[in-house]
Amino acid sequence: MSVLDEQLPLTRRMLLGGLGCACCAGITGTAQARIRPADMKPLVAPGHRPDDKDEQGLWQQYERVEEEIAGSNLLVKDPALTSYLGGIAERTGGPAARDLRVYLARIPEFNAFMAPTGFMVVFSGLLLRMRDEAQLSGVIAHEAGHFLRRHQIRMWRDMKRKTAALTFLAMGAGVGGAATGVYAGDLVRLAHLGTILSLFSYSRELEAEADAMGLRQIAQAGYDPTAMPETWQQLIEETQASAAMRKKRWKRGYSLLATHPAPEQRMVDLRASAKEVTTARTAERARDRYLQAISAHRKDWLDDQVKLNDPGASLYLVRNLARDGWSGLLRYYEGEIWRLRGQKGDSALAGQSYAAAVTLADAPPEAWRAHGQQLIRDGRGEEGRAALQRYLSLAPNAPDAAMVRHSVGG
Amino acid sequence: MKGRALILLSAGALALGGCVQTKQVADVEFAPPQGDYSLLVMRPDVTVGSLTTGGMVEPRADWTEKARGNLLRALAEQQSNQGGKTRILEKREGINGVDAETVANLERLHNAVGSSIALHKYMGATLPTKRRQGLDWTLGEDAVKFGRATGMDYALFLHAEDSFASSGRAALQVIGLAGCIIGFCAPVSGGGQSAYASLVDLRTGEVVWFNVLQTNSQLPGVRFGDIRTPEGAAQMVERLLGRMKAGRNVRERQ
Repeated sequence: MSVLDEQLPLTRRMLLGGLGCACCAGITGTAQARIRPADMKPLVAPGHRPDDKDEQGLWQQYERVEEEIAGSNLLVKDPALTSYLGGIAERTGGPAARDLRVYLARIPEFNAFMAPTGFMVVFSGLLLRMRDEAQLSGVIAHEAGHFLRRHQIRMWRDMKRKTAALTFLAMGAGVGGAATGVYAGDLVRLAHLGTILSLFSYSRELEAEADAMGLRQIAQAGYDPTAMPETWQQLIEETQASAAMRKKRWKRGYSLLATHPAPEQRMVDLRASAKEVTTARTAERARDRYLQAISAHRKDWLDDQVKLNDPGASLYLVRNLARDGWSGLLRYYEGEIWRLRGQKGDSALAGQSYAAAVTLADAPPEAWRAHGQQLIRDGRGEEGRAALQRYLSLAPNAPDAAMVRHSVGG
Repeated sequence: MKGRALILLSAGALALGGCVQTKQVADVEFAPPQGDYSLLVMRPDVTVGSLTTGGMVEPRADWTEKARGNLLRALAEQQSNQGGKTRILEKREGINGVDAETVANLERLHNAVGSSIALHKYMGATLPTKRRQGLDWTLGEDAVKFGRATGMDYALFLHAEDSFASSGRAALQVIGLAGCIIGFCAPVSGGGQSAYASLVDLRTGEVVWFNVLQTNSQLPGVRFGDIRTPEGAAQMVERLLGRMKAGRNVRERQ
């Protein structure tokens, strides 16, 4: 180590300590302030095209990405549903209404992302979790908010600026250090950490902006703005339920290295913001329209979800959807969650769910099969075979029809 | 401190300057196409950008377009001297009897196979089962079907990246070099090229030849090619495709 270091160790430590504190203060300062929806004005005009070289380059890259995504076999190919989603984007997109495109990918995960060129990808796992159109509009408007506030190019420029400053600092510390005989490696490392933290902090700030922008947009479109904090409440409760069933401690998910604010923080901020934008005109939930739009897919998406082997989350999800009323489909998948978990006593719980499912009008044929098999296992062969017959009459061409027919002796 | 500076200095001196590297691998039975063959050049994947001070590549739309045009022209020129019948795809659409989706799928398949070749043949993760076996990868039946539909013998896949130091990055390079005077050499890359070409025999579906090109310079203002210019693009095509070496067995028989 350098001579100076040995002579005046305290000075350097004090300096580093002081700088470290400055960094952290700056970070928590930006993360805590709530962004008011009223302060969020769109930064793009209709038909926005990039003017600057850096944004043009970004667009060109994302045009290729969109070409790939548009041809991806993960997309849910349902023109009616796709145009339904596009309609919500148009309704909440403000000045970008006609510039937004929505792609729906079959991925069982709560997520969506926005590209700088105006297309967004929504995952089927997100749609599965939404209870009505108002909740969905909040997510779509959040993504549209990234576009309206030009977040990708602002993030890129922020990154360019901060990495440039860091690089010059590191070079200066190296050259200057060599000239004066001071070893400045620790200082550089700290600055490196500071830069990383600051980049993540900016990312969280932009997410908070998108929340506020999105909330403003859905209120303007007439949706109930309280739907947006609900989504975060659901996500938090689902994460807790997942952890509880695994007997793990719930990770609160907040860290200085997070790209998004903690769900709790977002929920609290969104609740406060929702109050500010609520008026007599903001009441629309559109639950029936939403269920109608996704009706052809809910079964597939529930199927994807229960196979994730996350019974706590799946059970929470199904029961949360059932707060609007149980259906045969939801009861059947409740049973599937227990059956797939397969711990002591789960089989009986599954049986109860299947039995409840078949009493409901929209029970899928598989509910009759599961119910029948459960009855046979319980020694109620006669009733069980009758249920299996019902399955065969509802789904005569099912892949396993021949096997089931054999097992009922028909 | 002195010791550290010396190590830095000597390491710096070694790394200073820059280089042009190509490394090709081929199927052991590969013979470079000659005479009456037909070659389909798939839409080249080109990105040209500016290297920011912090070392990130910022894509530039205008440079990329220019480079793509130059590369396509250079390819046509280079192939016209080879004697074969060449067709260059500038878009996914436009081949008779093959829709854009099929072309896209073949590109994606090649992407996956090409990544595997890069990993196991170039990045050091050698597979014990493929040691000394030349290039032994295939796109399978899909490529054969594609060859039958297009009537082509070979498909060539091209990927090219080029980047140029921004003014901030160039300044950093100067400081890094200036540091050498006082014993702190910190050579900084000023961008460069990275490209690959991959030749698929559409009669068997096999990837028969693969070449990777890399150029890098740590001296401000010094470049080893610039695909934004016609000459630079021709140079890259020549470096990539100019000297196709035959496979090991073929060479041994010669």
